[in-house]
Amino acid sequence: MSVQARNNVVVKGQGPLTLVFAHGFGCDQNMWRMVEPTFAKRYRTVLFDMVGCGKSDVGAYDIDKYSTLAGYAEDIVEIIQEFKQGPVVFIGHSVGAMAGVMAANLSRGLISAHAMVGPSPSYITDEDYPGGFTRGDIDALLSTLESNYLGWSSAMAPRIMGNSETPELGAELTNSFCQTDPNIAKRFARVTFLTDSREDVRQLREPVLVIQSSDDFIAPRAVGEYLTQVIDDCRMVLVENEGHCPHLSQPAACIDAIQTFLDQTCGHLPA
Amino acid sequence: MSVEATGIPNAEALYQQAPCALLLINEKGLILEVNQTFCQWLGHTREQLIGTRKLQELLTVGGRMFYQTHWMPLLAMQGFITEVKLDFLTAQGTVAPMVLNAGRREHEGQVLNAVSAFIVADRMRFEQELLQAKRQAEDALQRHVVLEHELNRQRELAVDRALFAEQMIGIVSHDLRNPLQVVSMAAQYLRSQDMTERQDTMLGHIGEATTRSQRLINDLLDFTQARIGQGLAVSRAPIQLDRVIAAAVASLRLLHPHREIAFSASDEALFCQADADRLAQLLGNLVTNAVTYGDGASPIDVRVSAAQGTVEIAVHNVGNPIDETQLSTIFSPMTRGAEAGREVRSVGLGLFIVSEIAKAHGGVVEVVSTAQAGTTFAVRFPAYASGGH
Repeated sequence: MSVQARNNVVVKGQGPLTLVFAHGFGCDQNMWRMVEPTFAKRYRTVLFDMVGCGKSDVGAYDIDKYSTLAGYAEDIVEIIQEFKQGPVVFIGHSVGAMAGVMAANLSRGLISAHAMVGPSPSYITDEDYPGGFTRGDIDALLSTLESNYLGWSSAMAPRIMGNSETPELGAELTNSFCQTDPNIAKRFARVTFLTDSREDVRQLREPVLVIQSSDDFIAPRAVGEYLTQVIDDCRMVLVENEGHCPHLSQPAACIDAIQTFLDQTCGHLPA
Repeated sequence: MSVEATGIPNAEALYQQAPCALLLINEKGLILEVNQTFCQWLGHTREQLIGTRKLQELLTVGGRMFYQTHWMPLLAMQGFITEVKLDFLTAQGTVAPMVLNAGRREHEGQVLNAVSAFIVADRMRFEQELLQAKRQAEDALQRHVVLEHELNRQRELAVDRALFAEQMIGIVSHDLRNPLQVVSMAAQYLRSQDMTERQDTMLGHIGEATTRSQRLINDLLDFTQARIGQGLAVSRAPIQLDRVIAAAVASLRLLHPHREIAFSASDEALFCQADADRLAQLLGNLVTNAVTYGDGASPIDVRVSAAQGTVEIAVHNVGNPIDETQLSTIFSPMTRGAEAGREVRSVGLGLFIVSEIAKAHGGVVEVVSTAQAGTTFAVRFPAYASGGH
């Protein structure tokens, strides 16, 4: 099966850089629809769905492979190798950003810079690390997920998607939340919230931008600041935003931050 | 509840006392309006909530993570959300599970989200039982899968060991041939010398023992070739079947001087394409079998015949029939007759080799065994290999 079909890869735009957009947990590539079109006017943009999410090929979901973030990172390496033109800037949201970190470490030189939206290398609070959650909190999330998927069966998804009161949604915009297989969603939640990527981010050598929301329950400010301390070349931009998805609720601020980062770094990027 | 002239409570009263929670929140989740029902369920006053608390702040930590990763993006993207179950924390610290619907409204340039919710405590208990059962089923399945893996692993190990043992048999048999050849030649050399009668008898025993050992080794080599090689090798050439079998019977008579072996053929000259040496070996195995298990006082009948392009070699003996339970495995290697314990003559490869020789000729071997008719082994194969005469 092709990488394109496996990850529902969508390529747009032309330009000196390739921007690869990775979604986070609970979403798919549609999460970038307020941000990516602006960049598609100037750069080559690559959007994709992680296997098991959105319109990816669910048949490609291998329990062993995707039981760690490394499985997702391998896919990202393949996507970039197949679709890149020129230097690659990886723009990842949440766990997508961490998958990008792992891909960069797997294949040195593949990614020239990282823009991370709401990143967190580890969610569980450790001695001197402010992750924000306990193991019990993560278990509570898993159980909330489970009780929701009881009601959100696959049979219901089409009815919700076909809501005629929201024409702006369009038929092509699928409800990725509903479309995710409950078992896959649960496993992806485990990978997302129980992976400790702190060692991986320390190994990063490329320039990094962290877009930090002023009030993000999932990735608190202290985590963003932690990243600026442990990564060699890291800058943080604080966006006035409530929640974990500033690229949806404050797209203009995110676009500005990313564009500034590209302007600052892209002149120095190796081809 | 205030009642209007129509006799129906007014809208405000209906809203406040509705049998479900109704809220209005802004884009950040801040509660702008809330009805009495919600306040009662959570044990808060209106004043404690309106303008000060955000909806997500009233959730358990797990619920709040779900709110951020699913509710918020979905509401932002599609403007509505239905049937989401979230756990609220009451003022008393207890958990109130609720199912929520929400829809986006624009009012005077401001984006508002209307939310309705109701408690699902009983339903949740039921759902938890379902989930529990599902987990148990998944665990059972997991254990089954692990067990199956282990069984497969053990099976592969056993197959490997069996293959190794069979290869070992082949190698050892092959290596035994040379020393045996030396023994045989040395015995023959001594025969030509002057010897006492007793020495001559002893040499005769050596000769018989080496012949039997050589046969056994040849059987073992055939067995390994059939099992782990490409099947038993035969080279088919035009032969006169009745003559080949008659000659083989003649030498078998010398080998078994105390048994009567009768031979007959359906036709005077039966021609076919076959490996004469292999057929002699096949007949030897069948006759040896009949000598071992048949009635010692009755003759063994060997008959060859041909019909419709198929030739048949049949060996019949009188005696106790073969046990029915053994019939299905009688052509497998290492199968031995039930009474053979009294005089074990081989490791039980004879009939396996018969069946392999039949197969190599594109044919089969069948056995019919009853108390009245006795036992008949019949080998049938096409007179000519496919592809013409």
